Amino acid sequence: MGIKEDIFNDILIETVLLERATIVEAEVLKKQIAAKYAEGYKKIIIDISECEFIDSTFLGVIVNTLKRVAKVNGDLKLVGFKPAVKAMFELTRMFRVFESFSTVSEAIKSFE
Amino acid sequence: MNRKNKILLVEDEPNIARLFNYTLTKAGYTVVFAENGLVGLNKVHEDRPDLIISDIMMPEVDGFEFRKMLLEDKNVANIPFVFLTAKGSEDDILEGYNLSIEEYIIKTESPKIVVAKINSIFESIKRGRESAVFEVQKAADKLKIKVVPENFPKLDGFEIKHYHKPFESVPGGDFIDYIKLNDDTLVIVTGDVMGKKWGAWYFAVAYAGYVRNAVRVACSDVDEYSPKAIMQKINEMIYNDERISEVFITLSVVIINSSQNVIKYCGAGDLPLLLADEKIETIRSNGLLLGFSLDSYYDDISIEIESQQVLYLITDGVVELRNNEGVQLGYENLGRIIVNSIKKESSLTEIIKELSLYSNSNFEDDLSIVQIKKL
Repeated sequence: MGIKEDIFNDILIETVLLERATIVEAEVLKKQIAAKYAEGYKKIIIDISECEFIDSTFLGVIVNTLKRVAKVNGDLKLVGFKPAVKAMFELTRMFRVFESFSTVSEAIKSFE
Repeated sequence: MNRKNKILLVEDEPNIARLFNYTLTKAGYTVVFAENGLVGLNKVHEDRPDLIISDIMMPEVDGFEFRKMLLEDKNVANIPFVFLTAKGSEDDILEGYNLSIEEYIIKTESPKIVVAKINSIFESIKRGRESAVFEVQKAADKLKIKVVPENFPKLDGFEIKHYHKPFESVPGGDFIDYIKLNDDTLVIVTGDVMGKKWGAWYFAVAYAGYVRNAVRVACSDVDEYSPKAIMQKINEMIYNDERISEVFITLSVVIINSSQNVIKYCGAGDLPLLLADEKIETIRSNGLLLGFSLDSYYDDISIEIESQQVLYLITDGVVELRNNEGVQLGYENLGRIIVNSIKKESSLTEIIKELSLYSNSNFEDDLSIVQIKKL
């Protein structure tokens, strides 16, 4: 449980293994990504397919990461949406901003 | 009743674990288990307990080691910690207190004493929190910093009210503002800074200031007031201010002209507005979260409101309320609550009552609702 981190070539993959991703986990994700960003990773995949709920603080970290990597020609792609999370992304119009995929391998391919 | 306090019990002896589980559950706590310090460490991150009770003598990682590991992680170091031990030797007890623990419980103590000690820790935490909140609130009051107005605004032909409840009574990221442009025109703003409690409150104060500035700039020397112009101004200001550009905000801006009976709305990443009478109409905007991109597009939406119709601006804490089964309230249920309450004299109070009933008063975020009724 928690947030699993993997590296595939030059892609950082954060897998959020939480039913509810909220303010506390947001801090963990932020730190993990910041550490890897400092090492030069700017292609990021965040897999949220396990999440039933994401609060606005957690979403804030995802949005902020996208903003940061986009400035250095990187990208952030999302994987998987359960209905409530999908609804939240739709309501806040964030769907327009993120590229999303059903599986991590599809997201990896999109970076090629 | 508020959510039950959660206790993590780290204990390798199943009989003791069962006994404490029985005692603490009966006293109204939720108990989760771990059989040693290593498992306990994972559970702390996974379950986020309100208090940890740990045995000292355990295989793999013992209680002292476990406590030291927690103290090294500032995210969990402050969770109140209690040592549980079979022996009450002076050295053991002193070593425990050197590791910033709250209390020491001897396994042979009676269940009543154990519960009394745990209750007393929670009481003392509550008092400490209340006193800290009171002090900061006093300071904020002295500086006249408010993110939600004390009074409702007056506007001919309309009745405007709001409800605001910060998460755990600590000022947070939601803010509400009313800005009168002239006798007939009122700007209503609701915002939600991503985050909770004081951290978000600091930014809410900053954003509320930006909104006021943006309204002044966007509404001076113009033929027609436009929420879109306000929104674009705020987005530009935020995007270019590196101190706050990494903290995102959702915002709803409504301008009411009472003499012309015109309502205009522009939203940025906000939840749809609800227009209610016997049924509910959802009004959606297109704007993205503020501060995300300089190129974000915002537009004005005209809302036609008839006598006795009511327009609601809400923040996410409302629709994300959960019942005892963990089911979120959602828009449909909120709509039903509003329609059922709207004919009642104190409809906003009724709505709040229903929301409290639904969630068992367990609010997990700031809650803000602005109610605009056309008389």
